[in-house]
Amino acid sequence: MRLPPPPNPTATVQPRAARHNQGRLSLLAAVVVISLLSLLPLIALGWDALRGPSQEGLGLGIDGADQIRGTLLLVLGEGLLGASLGTATGWLCAVCRFPGRRLLRIAQLLPMAFPAYLQAASLIDWGSQRGLLIHGPLWAIALLTLANYSYVFLLSTESFSVSGRRLLEASRSLGVGPWRSFWRVALPIAMPSIGAGIALSAMEVVNELGAVRLLGVPSLSAGILDRWQVEGDPRGAALLSMIALAIVAVLVAAERQLRQRSRRWNLGGGTGQEAIWLLTGWRALLAILITALPPLLALAIPTLWILSGWQGIGPEAAADLVPLALRTLGLAFAATGVTVAAALLLAIVRRWSPQPLVRQLSFVAGLGYAIPGSVLALGLLILGGPLLLSPLLLLLWGYGDRFMAVSKQGMDAAFERIPPSIDEAATSLGCSWQGVLRRVHLPLMRGPLVVGSLLVFVDVVKELPITLSLRPFDFDTLAVRVFQYASDERVGAAMAPSLLIMVFGLVAASALIPSLEAGTQQKS
Amino acid sequence: MSTRPSFHSLPIPHGRSAALLALIPALSGLVPALASLPPAQAKEVRVYSGRHYSSDAALFQQFTKATGIQVRLLESNDSTIIERLRNEGQNSSADVLVLVDAAKLANAAADGMFQPVGSAALMRDVPLDLRDPKGRWFGLTRRVRAFAVNPAVVNPASLKTYADLAKPALKGKVCLRNRNNVYNQSLVADQMILRGDRAAATWIKGMVANLAQPVFTSDVALARAVAQGRCGVGLVNSYYVARMLSGQSGAADKALAAKIRIVYPNPAHINVSGAGVTRYAKNKPEAIQLIEFLTSPTAGEGFAKGSFEYPLKGYGNNPILQRFGSFKPDRLSAAQLGAQNKAAVALMATNGWK
Repeated sequence: MRLPPPPNPTATVQPRAARHNQGRLSLLAAVVVISLLSLLPLIALGWDALRGPSQEGLGLGIDGADQIRGTLLLVLGEGLLGASLGTATGWLCAVCRFPGRRLLRIAQLLPMAFPAYLQAASLIDWGSQRGLLIHGPLWAIALLTLANYSYVFLLSTESFSVSGRRLLEASRSLGVGPWRSFWRVALPIAMPSIGAGIALSAMEVVNELGAVRLLGVPSLSAGILDRWQVEGDPRGAALLSMIALAIVAVLVAAERQLRQRSRRWNLGGGTGQEAIWLLTGWRALLAILITALPPLLALAIPTLWILSGWQGIGPEAAADLVPLALRTLGLAFAATGVTVAAALLLAIVRRWSPQPLVRQLSFVAGLGYAIPGSVLALGLLILGGPLLLSPLLLLLWGYGDRFMAVSKQGMDAAFERIPPSIDEAATSLGCSWQGVLRRVHLPLMRGPLVVGSLLVFVDVVKELPITLSLRPFDFDTLAVRVFQYASDERVGAAMAPSLLIMVFGLVAASALIPSLEAGTQQKS
Repeated sequence: MSTRPSFHSLPIPHGRSAALLALIPALSGLVPALASLPPAQAKEVRVYSGRHYSSDAALFQQFTKATGIQVRLLESNDSTIIERLRNEGQNSSADVLVLVDAAKLANAAADGMFQPVGSAALMRDVPLDLRDPKGRWFGLTRRVRAFAVNPAVVNPASLKTYADLAKPALKGKVCLRNRNNVYNQSLVADQMILRGDRAAATWIKGMVANLAQPVFTSDVALARAVAQGRCGVGLVNSYYVARMLSGQSGAADKALAAKIRIVYPNPAHINVSGAGVTRYAKNKPEAIQLIEFLTSPTAGEGFAKGSFEYPLKGYGNNPILQRFGSFKPDRLSAAQLGAQNKAAVALMATNGWK
C-alpha cells in the first residue's frame, strides 16, 4: 500500500518528504539488523555443521524416519485437536450464553500456565507410583493439546467477539441459525486469527523436547540434539534441523495462504453486550462440558501429583525460592520488553513497506520459534564464546530470537484488521510515521500488544534449554532448579519451584482477563 | 488532529495490564543488578558442574568456610557444559569442570578441556583406576549399574552377570532405561570391551526381546515398576533405590523400594563422577585446592553420602549401602569407555535399544 505524499502545511527546514524517506530507511535498517540477529545463530549452526566431522555420509540415520514420522504425527494430531478445541471454546465463550460463561472464559487461560514438560513429568511420576504406564504418542498429543490450545482460543475468541460481531448480528437477524452463521460467517472472518493460533501451537509442538522425550515419542527435536551431542554428528543434526524448518515453513505458508484469502479490514464492533445465542438445556450442558474440561484437566494433573508426592518435598524445597523467583521475573520482564519492541518494529515495517524483501526478512526473524531451544542455544554458544558477549546479553538474544514469533503473529493479525485507509488519512493530515504509530496504531493495537507481551512473558518464565545453556554463574532460575531436581529424579523436591512457575503463569494469564473482557463487553 | 476517533469497540486493556506493561522497563534494570550478585571476592573458584545434588552445594559451603575461597557454580547438563566450554575457549571463566560419566570425562580430556595437575594429595586419595593417568581429571564418587530385582518375579540367584539379562527365560520380565542414558551407554561400551562387539550385539538383541514394556526415561520409574512386579529385573544405578529406601522421597517410595532386591553383577561395571582443572583456568591453585578437598576422605565421604553414591574407596558408612553388600569392579579404564562411546551408541541403535 503506497502512502500518498503528505502535504506540507508548515514550512520546515527539511522538506517533509525527505524526512519521511529518512524515517523509512532507518526503519528498514532496523528490520535488517533484527533479522540478521535472529538468523546469526542459525548461520553459526550451519557453519559449524559443515565444518564438523562427517559421519558415514549425509543420511537420516537409523531413527531419522521414525523421528520425522513422530513429529508429523504430533503436529497433525495436536493441530487438529487444538484447532477444534480452541475454536470451539473461543466460539462458545464469545457469542453464546450459558451458565458460568464468564468464569469459564477466563478459565481457558489456565492451561497456558502449565508447561507441557511439567505436566508430562508429574503425570508420569504419578502414574509410575500406581503402576500406570503413561507413554506414547497419544498421551503426547493429549498433553500438547492441553498446553497449547489456549493460543487458538485467545486469538479466535477475540476475533469472534470483535471483528465478526456485527456481521453475526446481521446474519442472525436474517434468520441464519448458529451453526450456519458459524460456518459461513464467523469462521471465514476468524480464519486469520485461528490460523495464526494453529501455526503458533504447531511450532511449539515441533520444538517441544521435554514432554515428548519423557513420553518416549521419537521426534525431530530430540533427534537433532542426539545426533549432535550423543552421536557426535553435527551434519546429520543440521539435516534434521532443515527438515524441521521445512515443516514449519509449510505451516507458516499455509497460514499465510488462509490469511490472504480471508483478508478483511474491520474496525466496526457490535453494539450490544449480550451474547448472540442463548443456550439452554443439553446444549448449555455440552457447552459447559467443552469449556470446563480442559482447564479442569490442566489443574488436575499437578493437583494429583501434589497429593501423591508432597512427602518428598523435603527441607531444601523452600531454599532460595525468593532469589530464584526474582531472577526469573527480572529475566522475563527484560526479555518481554526486548522481544515485543522488536516484534512491533517488524510488524510496522511489514505494514508500510511494499517490498517483498521486507516480508521475507520479517518471516525469517520469526523462524527462531520453530527451532528447539536447545539447538538455538548451541548456535548462540558458538557465537557467544568468540564474541566475548556477556552471558546475560546472550540469554536475552536467545529469548528474543526464540519468542519473536509469539508476539509478532498476533500483531501481524491485528495490523491486518486495521484498514490502510486510516494510515492514509493520518499521513494525509500530516502525521509522521511515528505520529501514526503513537496516535493511531498503538491505541488500536493495545489489546494484541498486551496479549503478545504476556505470551512472551509466560514463555520466558517456563523456558528451560536456553536458560540452562547460556546463564551466568550462580544464576539459577525456577525452571533451571526444576530441571536440576528432576534430572536427579527427585520429582518431589521439584514441586515447590514448579508450583511457583505455574503461579507466575496464572498471574500473567489473569492479566489477560481485561483484554478478554474488553473483547465482549464493549461500552458503546 | 485534535480529535481522536473513538475506538471503544476494540479490546483495550485497563488498569492492571497497562500497569504491568509499564513495569517492563522498570524491572529490566533488575537483571544486571542481580547478575553481579554475590559480590566478587578476592579468592574464588568457578565451577561448571554436571552434577545436580543439593548435598554438593552444602559441601561447597564447607569448602568456603574452611578456606575462605568462594565457589561460584554453574550447573547444567554435561553436553551443554562441554559445548559451552569448547566455544568459550580461552575466554572461559570456568576453573573446574565436573562431569558425571567416565566416558564423558575421558572424551573431555581427549578434547583438551582439562590441564594436567600434579598433586600428591590427589595421587594419594584417588585410586589409579578412578583417575586420568595423565592427571587431567580425578574421580569424586562411584556408582554401580546394578540389577534391581523383584524376588517374587525373578529369582535373584539366577542373575550373576549382565549377560544373564538376555536369557530367554526372562522374556517379558526385563526393563531398561532408554539409549540416551549415559549410564547405559557406558555399560554397553564396557561389555563391548570385555566380551567383544558380536557378543555385545547379541546380548542387546536378547535384552530388547525380553523387554516387559517400552524403555523408561528414568531410573526411579523403572525401580517402581520392578517393585510393582511389572518388571522382574531392571538395570539401575543403586543409589536411586537407596534414596527411595531412605524415605527421602516419601513413604510410598520407601514401601516400594523395600520390595526390591539390589544384586551386583560380578564383575560390576563401575562409573564415576569426576572433576578436573580446565585448560584455561584463571584460578588454578584454588581449583586444585577444591578438587583436593572434594576427594579427601572426610569430604569425599560426605560428597557420596548425600547422594547415596559410593565413595572412592570402600563402601562408606551408610547402613543402606552396607545392606546392598559388596561388589567386584571390572576395572576398565575410563579412557577405554570413552573411546568406545560412539560405537556403543551405534551398536545400541542398530540392535533396537530405543
